[in-house]
Amino acid sequence: MSSWALSHYAFRSAATGIRRSPFIHGAAVGALAVVLFATGLVAGGSRWLSQVINGLGSEVELTVYLKEGTRFEEAQALAQALSLRSKGETQVVAPEQALARLVQELGPLGSALTGLPENPLPLSVEVKLPPKGRNPQALKQLEQELKRVGSVEAVDYGEAAVERLASMVRLLQLGGMLVTVIVWAITAVIVAATLQLAIYARRQEIEIQKLVGATDLFVQLPFLLQGIMQGLLGAALACASIWFLALGMGPRLAAALSFLAMGEGTAGSCWVNLQAFGTLFLLGAFLGLVGSFLAVARLSRN
Amino acid sequence: MPFLMVQLLHVTKAYPGNAPSLADVSLKIDKGEFLFLTGPSGAGKTTLLKLIFSAEAVTEGEVRVGGKNIARIRESAVPYLRRNVGVVFQDFKLIADRTVAENVALALEVLGVPPKSCRERVAAMLKRVGLLSKAELRPNHLSGGEQQRVVIARALVNEPTLLLADEPTGNLDPALTIEIMDLLNDATTRGTTVIVATHDESLLDRYQKRTVRLDGGRVVSDSQALRAVPDQSSEQVSG
Repeated sequence: MSSWALSHYAFRSAATGIRRSPFIHGAAVGALAVVLFATGLVAGGSRWLSQVINGLGSEVELTVYLKEGTRFEEAQALAQALSLRSKGETQVVAPEQALARLVQELGPLGSALTGLPENPLPLSVEVKLPPKGRNPQALKQLEQELKRVGSVEAVDYGEAAVERLASMVRLLQLGGMLVTVIVWAITAVIVAATLQLAIYARRQEIEIQKLVGATDLFVQLPFLLQGIMQGLLGAALACASIWFLALGMGPRLAAALSFLAMGEGTAGSCWVNLQAFGTLFLLGAFLGLVGSFLAVARLSRN
Repeated sequence: MPFLMVQLLHVTKAYPGNAPSLADVSLKIDKGEFLFLTGPSGAGKTTLLKLIFSAEAVTEGEVRVGGKNIARIRESAVPYLRRNVGVVFQDFKLIADRTVAENVALALEVLGVPPKSCRERVAAMLKRVGLLSKAELRPNHLSGGEQQRVVIARALVNEPTLLLADEPTGNLDPALTIEIMDLLNDATTRGTTVIVATHDESLLDRYQKRTVRLDGGRVVSDSQALRAVPDQSSEQVSG
């Protein structure tokens, strides 16, 4: 059988099947749309949370305190090497500069420091790390490397805070993934059940096809395509709903949460972007295909 | 020597808890032959047809179609066997929500015939059975005879080597019966082997074809066998 003739038949039959049983297929598309809409919202929420956490995480700064007697040029060389190694921004902070900053941060209490006979603060290098380097493992590794440098006295990066943030992100990701997988499995079963109804509605046609020599592939292909079409239609509805919601709610959300450091982009862009919508379409097609596989597997057994 | 299209060797078909529908049936049907299968209701006519197109499996014995023992073919190979066998079902088995042309095209679609060629062959077939003007109608808008002709068109459109017809003229008036039988008879002129199951004795009288009579699942007579046996009474008279 030529693949062109088979594809032509399968597409025509799938489209005709959807047109002839709009209620059954509408129910499947609706179920898929709801799940994909929820998935889109959760995924957008997760992206937004990551942005917030990254925003908070940008406070994470690694400070390298240098030994007494280290020259400014040596500190500059170290800062340059560190910048290359960590791909972050580095700054050499002279003891005087560090003291001035501390005085300013302490406010009225800062005046107590101005009377000190000598500056107790060492020469240091501050590193602002890119998001990739903010995880506990990367920071720990960098700390160990720095401790091997002769001029380094101590390294500080707020270890406990970084680990707390990282475990929070891990927990959220794991929980989200678990819920998502359960919801997807339920959706695949819903799609399979609706396609079972479609198959039941066309049982006479299937029986006749088999009697005139149709192979399993010939009978099953239109249903597999129907599953994919349902998934794509569901994804289109879900994307449209998310877009409208983001359009209406985005500015309000951004205003309500303006106190949070959001980094680049707006709150709405976490939900509405090409990659997110593309993923929803792929996911919809995948869920539809899995559901239709479940349905047609039973068909070939019968 | 004629090519054997269908051969049944000591075939028995039994359903659990029932007497065998067919018991030790042996039969040979040549290519291009026209054969009537007759007998009372429950004689095993439909069961025999079902065994030939692999809708049922034999309990014992062998069914050979085109030389192949179909009891031994893989399940995945059954569709390929059926593509060479046109079947005219007693209950028509037409798809109600498809047009006449779409119903006939089904037999070509499963073969993967390209859409354009499919349309041409369907039109030619519908013209042959006199239904071209009704190609776009649904089966429920046709008379019983017309529906039967659609079924025959579907069975013949892919030019099968074997055509099975189960009571193709049941419930038809005499004029339509002749029309349908002529169509089936015409198929043999194109090399198709035709097996018609019927309990209509008038058809047997009219067409004078080879007739195999079944009763209680057994072959009780075969007109070909009778012809093959020398007429002993005439020999006695002459002797």
